[in-house]
Amino acid sequence: MTYTFKFQDQIYKIELEKEDKQIQIEIDGEKYPVEFNKIDSNLLSIVINGKSRSIGVMKKGKKLQVFIDGDLYELEAVSEREQRKAHHTASGVQEIKSPMPSRVVKILKGEGDKVIMEEGIIVVEAMKMESELKSPIEGTIKEIMVKEGDVVEAGTVLAVVTSEDQ
Amino acid sequence: MFNKILIANRGEIAVRIIRACKELGVNTVAVYSDSDRRSLHVALADEAYHIGGSAPGESYLVKENIIDAAKKSGADAIHPGFGFLSENDAFAEMCEKEGIVFIGPSPEAIRLMGDKITARKIAQDAKVPLVPGSDGAVSDVEASVVAGNIGYPIMIKASAGGGGKGMRLVRKKEEFDSALRMARSEARSAFGDESVFVERFIEKPRHVEIQIIADGEGNTLYLFERECSIQRRHQKVIEEAPSPAINSRIRKKMGDVAVKIAKAVNYEGAGTVEFIMDQEQNFYFLEMNTRVQVEHPVTEMITSFDIVKWMIRIAAGESLPFKQKNLSMKGHALECRVYAEDPETNFLPSPGVIEYVRTPQGPGIRDDSSIYSGCEITPYYDPMLSKLIVWAETREEAIQKMKSALGEYIVLGVKTNIGFLIRVMSNDEFLEGKIDTGFIERHPDLLRPAELDTETALIAASLAMYSSNGKEEKASKKPTSNWKQYARRVGVSRSPQA
Repeated sequence: MTYTFKFQDQIYKIELEKEDKQIQIEIDGEKYPVEFNKIDSNLLSIVINGKSRSIGVMKKGKKLQVFIDGDLYELEAVSEREQRKAHHTASGVQEIKSPMPSRVVKILKGEGDKVIMEEGIIVVEAMKMESELKSPIEGTIKEIMVKEGDVVEAGTVLAVVTSEDQ
Repeated sequence: MFNKILIANRGEIAVRIIRACKELGVNTVAVYSDSDRRSLHVALADEAYHIGGSAPGESYLVKENIIDAAKKSGADAIHPGFGFLSENDAFAEMCEKEGIVFIGPSPEAIRLMGDKITARKIAQDAKVPLVPGSDGAVSDVEASVVAGNIGYPIMIKASAGGGGKGMRLVRKKEEFDSALRMARSEARSAFGDESVFVERFIEKPRHVEIQIIADGEGNTLYLFERECSIQRRHQKVIEEAPSPAINSRIRKKMGDVAVKIAKAVNYEGAGTVEFIMDQEQNFYFLEMNTRVQVEHPVTEMITSFDIVKWMIRIAAGESLPFKQKNLSMKGHALECRVYAEDPETNFLPSPGVIEYVRTPQGPGIRDDSSIYSGCEITPYYDPMLSKLIVWAETREEAIQKMKSALGEYIVLGVKTNIGFLIRVMSNDEFLEGKIDTGFIERHPDLLRPAELDTETALIAASLAMYSSNGKEEKASKKPTSNWKQYARRVGVSRSPQA
């Protein structure tokens, strides 16, 4: 089974395979042998590589909450259809534009870098609020038009990303 | 003893008081606002009366509505808890007039201690140490003389002050004149009043308080101290007893001083005298809280003295059956306040529905709470979910127990400060007891996990999907149409013939 999650603005693809009593979970090529027991509908006892944890889980629509050692992690399940849709509608050459008059605070990627969907490329600041401009597609950075410290108008093209099939 | 007590509060303290009443065989009356109908205190009380809208100003702060509920229910006493009307002398007076016992000190004692200037004056008359400083507002010349007398560093504060405006820290004599000028001009533009006073600046102050209990016979005892230095936004988050900073000699000195203040206002019931303490264990009177304190459980844990029950007994006319010399403390207790708030956004409240809660258990663990799976945390009230209290023989063991207990706490639905509390329990400065009111600001690294456990989160999320998908798959295998069901039945009945 394949699950795709969005967590902290990153997309993760997880492969889950049941083998006898154990479950193999693969994240970014790394395999984790996992055993789990549902204590109740929101509490999982999970043994990962021999390490035992009690973890709170909650699924509400697409949103998931995971409670690990006092900290709450919020994830979003991304369905395959959504991913496909995003891929189809947002492929080709994509321009990253400044949403409002702002200042370029940080450039996170360089020309030629590979990016995945929703990965941050440039951080801009407007009204004392920083926001990360993300790639709408999986692809390669073709061009970065600004440098850190630049002040830009709304609508200025800051970077260009091209998808793999271009 | 009373026949029926109305609890003019909500949340965990209302639950705590209801439990104390039940142990004393007293009937309980809960009051609730619109948004509190489903709250735990309503479910646990023997009777419950609606007293108005969700905003405190429409319910828990409306004296008349609470008196009405007391009359309707026939309650002969009211326990105000903390916050809301607990330190409102007019309410205590109103109860008196209506012939209902207010479980707390006299309206007069509340009034005297409620006014900061009067309280300072009472402390001064009782020869209680105060932060050295000028006696009220001062002229430029007086200010520099006072500053010289008390010694640097000093603090210049606007008389009309608040919010840090018109405040200046002066470390050296040479900086004094310009700092005074700036403080005055800031005070003038902020409050339209340029008067200032001068006070010694307490470096790395600790907050240490003494629990008082006094009956109507003049027995005024102290139940030792609590250290409450771990604070955020001037609100306590972690408390403990005893304080790791003081020895038995200072403890006795502070206790005697606190008793002196309580006696000065003929105090009756439970109260707390708060002190600010410098790094050399000099302590200065801050204020007196004339009510039960949020952190009272740590004192109960080390003394085995039930403060809430004794508040009720004293109000009912009973006297304390022991003297100061009979009181002793044992072991160490810690309290962590579990809040629905996000430490990463400067502890901003995080209201919402608690979808799931699992509380820690084990010997020496006490969870004073009013939450349950499915309850709602509304934005109308303090976002405190529970107080987790532990007791152990030593401070080290108590910290380890707290860490392990917090590790068993699970709350889903709203953000909480539990992870932050766990990290404090592993902090070296905290472990060594080197704490002061600037601790949290000094440790911004504790606000978030040092490293996100992304793999575990993804594994748990996948398993949550996997186990709930299983359910959905099973559901979809159920025949959906009657025709299919019919076909299956027919198929089964025919099979023997085949």
